[in-house]
Amino acid sequence: MNKIIVNKELCKGCKDCYKACFIDVIKWDAQAKKPIIAYPEECVHCMYCELNCPERAIKVIPDYASYLFPRENII
Amino acid sequence: MTERLDTDVLVVGGSLAGLASAITAKEQNPALDVTVVEKYTSGYSGKANRGAGIILLLGDYAPEDFAQFYMKNIGLYLNNQTTLLKYASYLNDSVACIDKWSGGKIDKFDDGSFRTLKWASKVVGRKEDGKPVFDQENVYPWTLAAIELDYIREVRRYARKAGVKFVDRVGMVDLLTDDGKAAGIVGYNIDDGKQYVFGAKSVVFACGNQCWRVMPMWSAARGEGIAAAFRAGAKFANCEFSPFYNWTSLEHFESDMGVEYALYNDKGENFGVKTVKPIHSDINAESLAEYYKQAKAGNGPMHYRDDENPLNPYTHSMLASDAFYNRPYSDRFWGYLFFNAFSQKTNDVVVPGLVGEFNPLWVDENMATSIPGLFAAGDVCVGGSRAWGAVAQPGRHRGSGLAFATFSGRVAGPSAADHAAGASQAAVSDDQVAATDARFMAPTKSAGNVKTMDMVAEIQKVMQPLGNSLYREEGRLKAALAKVEDLKAMMPQVKADDPHHLFGANELHAELLCSEMFFKASLERKETLGWFIREDYPQASDKLEWVIVENKGGQVAVSKEPVPLDTYPYKGC
Repeated sequence: MNKIIVNKELCKGCKDCYKACFIDVIKWDAQAKKPIIAYPEECVHCMYCELNCPERAIKVIPDYASYLFPRENII
Repeated sequence: MTERLDTDVLVVGGSLAGLASAITAKEQNPALDVTVVEKYTSGYSGKANRGAGIILLLGDYAPEDFAQFYMKNIGLYLNNQTTLLKYASYLNDSVACIDKWSGGKIDKFDDGSFRTLKWASKVVGRKEDGKPVFDQENVYPWTLAAIELDYIREVRRYARKAGVKFVDRVGMVDLLTDDGKAAGIVGYNIDDGKQYVFGAKSVVFACGNQCWRVMPMWSAARGEGIAAAFRAGAKFANCEFSPFYNWTSLEHFESDMGVEYALYNDKGENFGVKTVKPIHSDINAESLAEYYKQAKAGNGPMHYRDDENPLNPYTHSMLASDAFYNRPYSDRFWGYLFFNAFSQKTNDVVVPGLVGEFNPLWVDENMATSIPGLFAAGDVCVGGSRAWGAVAQPGRHRGSGLAFATFSGRVAGPSAADHAAGASQAAVSDDQVAATDARFMAPTKSAGNVKTMDMVAEIQKVMQPLGNSLYREEGRLKAALAKVEDLKAMMPQVKADDPHHLFGANELHAELLCSEMFFKASLERKETLGWFIREDYPQASDKLEWVIVENKGGQVAVSKEPVPLDTYPYKGC
């Protein structure tokens, strides 16, 4: 599955990655003020969390081979 | 643990169509309370900031030019001409609206005019700095402007300053009705599962269409609004005029345009170029059908020789670099996507990837649905508006997604405001709320152990195949429908134990309902017309009819309605 790496040293807790996720892969830990990568198996590598992070504290490494797609049912 | 909120106008969905509806509702009647409820976070969510960021406008042409060209070449007179003409007349002002709402995010020339480019212009040379020179040939009677893709956050800020209220992280599950009229919605917070009940005088559905979670960037469109409208008794049209496909690679799932020009079978024969129309518009259904035939004949895998694609200089300039438009944020977005994607590429094998864009919520030219007090905007009702005719969204004219979202929002907002001003708050039924709660929470009590993502995969296998969804035939459609019924029977076995997966289960209900509507409507249309291709009915019928879907006693009921050509200005060919 895709890897979503958070550098918790760089992360300032602005929530932009959590807001940027359009399919609820990223949840928010209100106490720690850090993102929780809750459902990485559903990440569709849209890259918006990485694009929007002002601290460059989050990175998505796509694993296209595991992307859920009906490879045997094309036609 | 229920939060009860009342508002005059409730907009469901906080991407471009929803924000356009909310802003224009508030402008229409500033005394009204206007609230946007969004499943994720408005300003970031939806599809309107994840596409190419191009938006069409008419340029120097009249709306009638657009409408006539469009009906003749694409819509084939299966159009609601009233709505099509209204859409065309809104195009130029819509670009100006987005520019205003976003604080100037439409790219401009130095003189302040919008930087525009004719659709599918040809590259006729290169400047000294390597940037392409376009001929600006009048291939199509319309033009494209481009917006920086962080604009939605600015539009949300504009809406908030205008007095629109926001409730984020609450997903709508059902529409509440009172005596057949819209009365509000039931929703849940996607993080903590708290129930929200909204009472409203007008409701606008701007919550997207159905894309069955196949292609990545369309994954958020899961059809809950379509399903909620069906359960509430709404009418639908053009269910069969989807799904859309893009050409893609199984190595990275990014898409390319103009692939038809350079689409080869494994014998080295170009079978795509013969399907390209003299007026190149966009990916066409015929090339997809030809792919199916080639694959069935054992001529696969198919290959895309991108160095032979004559559109590449154009599409790359339009969509993925700053060679023509200046959009630094968008460039970073495309850079991330394409670097990741193309660094993985090892071969030229190409497949059709199901995009979906199932969008059939019926609306009239004022964006009113068949349920009094319920209006719609954006992707949920593109097909249901019937404006574009016999074609799948994006309607074979790119830049239409943002254009339709803005147009329909600018119509739905004032319509909803006018309705709310003359209405009293309908009663919110505790019984309806309880019934929704029982349905939504059922997967927590399930004795089964089926996971939501396993069901997503099974539904993909029914919807993706070209033989089921593009190149259609009665036997295959009936077999697909039977599989959908089998999957529906499995739904009580779906187990969910947190809000994320409860929403996942609710989305599965919507996916399966949309599949059923799609296959039943496809069986009803016994002809080949535009995007709609039947192997067993290769000719167009002599009647122009819309296929209508309605909820009859909880069942998907299909009928036909003649296109009222005698009342329209253009009579067709």
